[in-house]
Amino acid sequence: MERQVGDRTILDKFTEEFCEVIEKYCKYIICSGFVAIAHGRSRGTEDIDMIIEKIPFEKFKNLHEELLKKGFQCIQPGNTEKLYAYLKDGVSIRYVWKSKSFAPPEMEVKFAKDELDEEQIKERQKLPLTGMDIYFSSIESNIAFKEEFLRAEKDLEDARHLRIIYKGKFSEDKVNKIKEKIKIRNGKQQKFEKNF
Amino acid sequence: MTRDKTHEEQIERWAEFVRDNPTEWKAKLVPFIDGQILLSRRFYEKLTQTPEGMQTIKELRRIPSV
Repeated sequence: MERQVGDRTILDKFTEEFCEVIEKYCKYIICSGFVAIAHGRSRGTEDIDMIIEKIPFEKFKNLHEELLKKGFQCIQPGNTEKLYAYLKDGVSIRYVWKSKSFAPPEMEVKFAKDELDEEQIKERQKLPLTGMDIYFSSIESNIAFKEEFLRAEKDLEDARHLRIIYKGKFSEDKVNKIKEKIKIRNGKQQKFEKNF
Repeated sequence: MTRDKTHEEQIERWAEFVRDNPTEWKAKLVPFIDGQILLSRRFYEKLTQTPEGMQTIKELRRIPSV
């Protein structure tokens, strides 16, 4: 879809600039709320969720330095080693455009934590209806995560919005398969939490 | 508080508009999305000018201390 001047939101600009840097270093996906917003859901969000491939420290260091050069700042304090340790521990690191006030929007970056995340990255796609030149997780996985895992009212509404937009164009079977995997993941997590 | 049926109907109406008008929906949404970000930025900017502002921002944004 061709974009027209004036058709880009601040969120679009922020996300595209950020993704342009990330893509040089690793594969990524944008998932969760922004997927629905990029498809016209009329609701606000402060943060955009990104999952990236696990990368070695050196590569992360270069990526982080380029983000800083391009006008972003990480809102967590600490050196690159510390930020990398956050990612390795499954904690997200968060970037905003450089400003004293750390004002939104914010990109929340996480390493892929398991097979399910890796699979999402593998099946990433550009979604022409958004008019954005970035990679998203699949429509099926967005619907599945929103309906099976996140389940807040806004998430269920996002899922419904995507279902209407892509009516007849996505695989319900695939949604159900991803939901099954989410259930397994949740089960493992609960078991883990119970033991510790 | 649960939202009533008219809210659901509006979600449906708008989603159908987006689906059926791929070149029109975005322009309608830009001021709405940008407005929220601009309001938020203005607020954070004002907070930085208050004595406890930076501390409040750190709490709001869950920014850990060094």
